Amino acid sequence: MGRLFAVEIVYRGIFQKTLAKNISRGIVLAAHAEGKPGISFGRYGDSPERNGIPAKNFAIVGTDDVTLEEGMAKYEPTEVDISIAVDDTLCKGVESWAWYGLQPINRLLKPGGALIVTSREQPDALIAMCHRKEYPYRLAIVKGTPSFSGLWVYKDDHTDVRILGAVAKLLPDLVGLEAVQKVILAEWRDPLKATSAARAYERTTTTTVRPDQGNPEKPYQFELPKWWEMREGIAIPCIRPGQPMQDMDNHKTGGFRPERNPTFKKFTTRTMRPVVNFDTCIKCTLCWLQCPDSCFDVTPDGLYDANMEACCGCGVCEAVCPVTDCVTMVNEVAFHDNASQWEMWKKDKDAYQTWLNGKIEHRPERSHGFRYRGQYEEQTPEMLEIAREG
Amino acid sequence: MAQAVAHRAEETEKTALITGSEAIAVACKLADVDVITAYPIRPYDTVMQYVAKLVANGEFDCEYIVAESEHSQFEIVKHASAVGARVFSGSSGVGWMYAFEALTVTPALRIPMVVMVGNRALDDPGAFGVEHNDALAVRDLGWQLVWVDSAQEALDTALIAYRVAEDRRVFLPCAISCDGAFLTHSQGLVKIPSQDKVDAFLPPYQRGDLLLHPDNPITIAPQANEDWLMEIRRQTAAGMERSTAVIREAYAEFEQIFGRKYGNPFFEEYATEDADVVLVGMGTLSTPVKVAIRQMRREGKKVGFVRVRWFRPFAAEELARTLGRFSAVGVIDRDFSLGSPHLGGVLATEVRAAMYLATSQPPVLGFICGLGGREVTVPDVRKMSDIIREAAEGHPQPPTQWIGLRE
Amino acid sequence: MDTTATVETQPGVKLDPFKGVKKLPLEEFFTSGHRTCQGCESALVMKMMAKAAGPRTIVLGSTGCMYVANTTYYSTSWVIPWMHTQLGSSGSAAMGSAAGLKAQMRKGKMKKEPINVIAFCGDGGGADMGLSAISAALTHPDYNLLILMYDNESYANTDIQLSGSTPYGAHTTFSPPGATKRIMHHRWKKNMAGMLAAGHPTCRYVATMCMSYGLQGMNCVRKALSIGGPTFIHSLDPCPKGWDYDPILSHELGELAVATGIWPLYEVKDGVVTLYGKTKQLAEGQSPRLPVREYLLKQGRFAHFREEDIEYFQKKVDEMWERWLIPGVIPFVKDVEDERISA
Repeated sequence: MGRLFAVEIVYRGIFQKTLAKNISRGIVLAAHAEGKPGISFGRYGDSPERNGIPAKNFAIVGTDDVTLEEGMAKYEPTEVDISIAVDDTLCKGVESWAWYGLQPINRLLKPGGALIVTSREQPDALIAMCHRKEYPYRLAIVKGTPSFSGLWVYKDDHTDVRILGAVAKLLPDLVGLEAVQKVILAEWRDPLKATSAARAYERTTTTTVRPDQGNPEKPYQFELPKWWEMREGIAIPCIRPGQPMQDMDNHKTGGFRPERNPTFKKFTTRTMRPVVNFDTCIKCTLCWLQCPDSCFDVTPDGLYDANMEACCGCGVCEAVCPVTDCVTMVNEVAFHDNASQWEMWKKDKDAYQTWLNGKIEHRPERSHGFRYRGQYEEQTPEMLEIAREG
Repeated sequence: MAQAVAHRAEETEKTALITGSEAIAVACKLADVDVITAYPIRPYDTVMQYVAKLVANGEFDCEYIVAESEHSQFEIVKHASAVGARVFSGSSGVGWMYAFEALTVTPALRIPMVVMVGNRALDDPGAFGVEHNDALAVRDLGWQLVWVDSAQEALDTALIAYRVAEDRRVFLPCAISCDGAFLTHSQGLVKIPSQDKVDAFLPPYQRGDLLLHPDNPITIAPQANEDWLMEIRRQTAAGMERSTAVIREAYAEFEQIFGRKYGNPFFEEYATEDADVVLVGMGTLSTPVKVAIRQMRREGKKVGFVRVRWFRPFAAEELARTLGRFSAVGVIDRDFSLGSPHLGGVLATEVRAAMYLATSQPPVLGFICGLGGREVTVPDVRKMSDIIREAAEGHPQPPTQWIGLRE
Repeated sequence: MDTTATVETQPGVKLDPFKGVKKLPLEEFFTSGHRTCQGCESALVMKMMAKAAGPRTIVLGSTGCMYVANTTYYSTSWVIPWMHTQLGSSGSAAMGSAAGLKAQMRKGKMKKEPINVIAFCGDGGGADMGLSAISAALTHPDYNLLILMYDNESYANTDIQLSGSTPYGAHTTFSPPGATKRIMHHRWKKNMAGMLAAGHPTCRYVATMCMSYGLQGMNCVRKALSIGGPTFIHSLDPCPKGWDYDPILSHELGELAVATGIWPLYEVKDGVVTLYGKTKQLAEGQSPRLPVREYLLKQGRFAHFREEDIEYFQKKVDEMWERWLIPGVIPFVKDVEDERISA
């Protein structure tokens, strides 16, 4: 019995599908170049991918065919050597389907396994987002803006090969840099991409995450009912109608808060969240009306509070808001909870303004994908610079 | 209550000369069906022609919808049933196959629709005559399947079908098979039960917590992943498991209220008491078989006949126990299952499977006969009987033979 | 009883048009926790459709994104009753539900009250597979029902394959631009609303809409539900996934589809055609029709277009506005029109 390797790539659905596939294929082909057999597959349950909703891709490699078969006997591996998050906000957890519960990004990591994250953040920021693990694991950051490559047009900012370089560094027994570069040249015929992989290899440093570090919250989970506990006829009760909200000061009730799907919250789909300036809001209703996820609670004082359990961060509210900087999309990494902004504002309006400005001031630009033809051509050189510099 | 009604039996019942299709149309009227969908294809559509007349003459109040395809026919009644309406539809041959998607989704949704299949050969070539492959195509999907051999039985079985299908313990669709031409297009004398007896026998359709209505807000059949499908299948299987007992109850109360005896609901036995060999079949071939048996008995040949009514649920243990009494069994299939074990028919394959666990296992021979509406003749039946007698006497016979074929 | 009464259309739910966004009911009948993409405009259509229809409504959903992505067993986002129907069955589902309710109410088996019946389908379920069942439903004057086709211009749920409603030249998994064939999909989009309005003279209401104009869209739904008999609405829904764009652009792309004249907004009510909203302004020259490139080049699915492709697309849209008997509605040209143009 030889050695078995498993790598999972966690990605944000359709706009990172090609990226995840490239990484997974790259690992298996490189291992193959070293004489190790392997398979690469996207988790069927995630397909067809939605845009933003977390999905998984797996690379399974064995030192020989029999060992590989041991790995293939379980469709989705129960433990992995490496988890790759191609977007750092995935560190907050993964909820791919109703009833999956909130699954920590490091859930499948073996003791001493490695979590690779594409991010501009420092290790501490990412560690704080990840749920605590009972044993130590390694965190490696591939520096750069998470790549939302789009679908029909692939944004080739080298994220794929840089992650391959990092994998070679973290788990040389799985693939060596030489094999990785060989495969890159064969697959893409682009020496610069091979160089990018080498840079990532050289510059990848790891931090060990201790059991006492990370988000102490216990992620929510659900127990699936038995067949005789489920209602027949594939029928389930609808969501109950919502209720008016209550003002915590004067206890006046008003506005409206819809009931929400208790077993699929969808907030792990979010990479940016709307921050609302309630002082400049003109109550035009557009953010609330045009939200495809019904995530705005209507407050007793007629304001619109984006419910962070339900918001998936599409940004339409910012797009439709007629007031400058009233609704602003801010990188999700800048937040540590899903608390109500309206309640914060009600408690202390000045403190809220300070908090708000702090969030809006320095926010790294995030792109969810294609905005106009030529955009990627403009963006990639900058990314390639990062690639060269590591 | 049932007793009281039974007393007034005779004076209220009328006798009419009608076809099997017309008998089922009358049953729909008596069952006060709410929504009926029609689409033309021979031979089943005679039932819809009769329904149309009843509606046109104001004798029957229902939504009678002429659909634009069989697929729509069955989708329309599926949804009508989901909002609490009692429904009826039907088809034949390739029409039934055109509706296949709609037929597939109905059992898991627990839609107790009752339909008539006027059994017809599948294209190509187009042919109007009877074959059982159309109805049998849904045998694995959760449909209850029953075959009848007279207009009277067609009417009675339609009422029983509603009672069984709409029983909350079951809530599964039921298809009543009537052989094309022999039953759909030939008239017989039928006792029409009185409305009050039917009302006493057949309670209203209550969907309970599965009713799609603003007063019972439910979501039905959301997209499921691998975490749920097995549990859902198991629920549907449980409904089919419970159906057997519900069918017995229904026949018992039917006899009590209407005074007509069907004996064992699942299969009829004819001249089996002292028989040494037995033939098994479904539908109207029962007539030539019974005539042939009477002839042969005059010659001292002790042949019996078992006519299977309910194919789903299949009364495996009971049938195996019965057939185990004989020294050889011959199964007549008015259908085929190409490439199946011993290259035989569907019924023969099921009977052999049922016999596998039986303590007594006589040889079971299969006969493919009467396809595409070809008559099953008395000489055919005698020939099949002779073949199984040979087997009974220890002379091995081929497991499947085609009877009445030019060769 | 006189069964001829069964061919009379029962009164629908009384639904006056919403007077303005500030007068909208706050209640949601389709809420959070569905599994659609970020910025899914079709999910927005579901939300607004339900808000417009209100609590006494039954919704039937045929297979497609708004089925597969929207409801994940053993959970739901629907507050009002909802049931799945097969891909080609929106017409049959609406008719069956309406007929079932009608029969039971007439026979006293169910409380008599108007209940909205809405069946929705995607462009695959409507413009392709379900066309014949929708057509049949629209010929039944005796049932109150609305069939709403949410059109995201591909089988976006199954992996983004082209449908009869996919625009010319768009990149889909069944029409990838290749080395030899740049334009794999060279069919022009079906004119569903126009076809159904023209082909079903007894259908009292057919409309197009786009939820970037939410209030107008919701009022289309309310008219369709209250007018009586079967009705049809065709909604164009920008789809970040299949069209390949940043979801923050969802709303803007809906506006651009209308402003470029690619997606005309109109109603056909009791046989009278009315262009409304932005489209009316374009037709009356109150605002200029934007060039289609403004719309096309914001989407990855058209990124392979060359100038000649954009010109062809523009030419076809111009034809629609300059030559059609009724711009955007009736694609015929009168002889005299021909002469005028050739002259």
